[in-house]
Amino acid sequence: MTVRRWWPRRWGRPPPGPATCAEAQRALQAYLDGALLAADGDRIRGHLEQCRRCGMEAAVYRELKAALARRAPAPDPATVRRLERFGEALARRGSIGSA
Amino acid sequence: MTAVPVPFRPRPSSRPAATAPARTERSDGSAPEWTAAPSSSPQSPPLPMDGRREIARSFEACVLPEVAVLLRVAGSLTEQPCDAEDLVQETLLRAYRAIDRFDGAHPRAWLLTILRHAAASRARRRRPETLSDLDPAATAAADRASVAGAGPEEVVLTRQFDATVARALQRLPERMRRVVELVDLDQLSYAEAASALGVPPGTVMSRLHRGRRRMRAELAAAGVAPTGTR
Repeated sequence: MTVRRWWPRRWGRPPPGPATCAEAQRALQAYLDGALLAADGDRIRGHLEQCRRCGMEAAVYRELKAALARRAPAPDPATVRRLERFGEALARRGSIGSA
Repeated sequence: MTAVPVPFRPRPSSRPAATAPARTERSDGSAPEWTAAPSSSPQSPPLPMDGRREIARSFEACVLPEVAVLLRVAGSLTEQPCDAEDLVQETLLRAYRAIDRFDGAHPRAWLLTILRHAAASRARRRRPETLSDLDPAATAAADRASVAGAGPEEVVLTRQFDATVARALQRLPERMRRVVELVDLDQLSYAEAASALGVPPGTVMSRLHRGRRRMRAELAAAGVAPTGTR
């Protein structure tokens, strides 16, 4: 997964050194989604390891994300296969044309 | 995820218009087979063999690996699981017709955009369905997934937590719920969810974060998570 920068400009440039509680709370969800640049993610991770309250908040959001992921119904393999065959038939027709 | 590098040169026009392959139901009730419908039409001259092979290769390399993701997202966008397959089928057909205009860079985002357009035309053709209540099948699946390898107390707590999460999700305004479903259930990135919804990534981010904060507050109110710090 490519790490992208999703630190909104209105938040200003992140200051050097460890993140503050306010920064960590602001960036927590983007951090848990893996959407921060590595350097920003490191600052947030450093804070979460040191700050009990923010660490606990991160744990709650991780549980929330995990519970949501558990709700995702797995795609029915038969349906996937049927659609793949449909796509293959389209591609085949493009490559060999009609007989 | 990385974009599939596909050597692909866009072709100008003159490709036979794609029509859906014919679906033949089997009499024994097993999965139907797709067979290619006749492709040549009097209006469109046949492509040179190389061009057709190239299009087929691009389609197979870019589109077919994304079918499972498309089906999941279609399930999130349609509410009715039975519509998802039809929607993905229409997406594949539209993708095939448009593949000569695709630059090969971000197949998933491109396909999600096509899926969104297909879903929008379907919604225009008929009234959207009303929101379904909690999906019993998904809840049962969540139960099975969460109980594997856990003690009885943990099972009960996880079930309570998951049930509260499910309720909180259903209570979110639709705009927020869609984003939460695309990112946390369907595992799309912010940019991919933005393609699926046709909104800027910043909008995805703000709806997602506000939605999760609401859900988090409901978890605290229900007593299955500590009170939040904000």
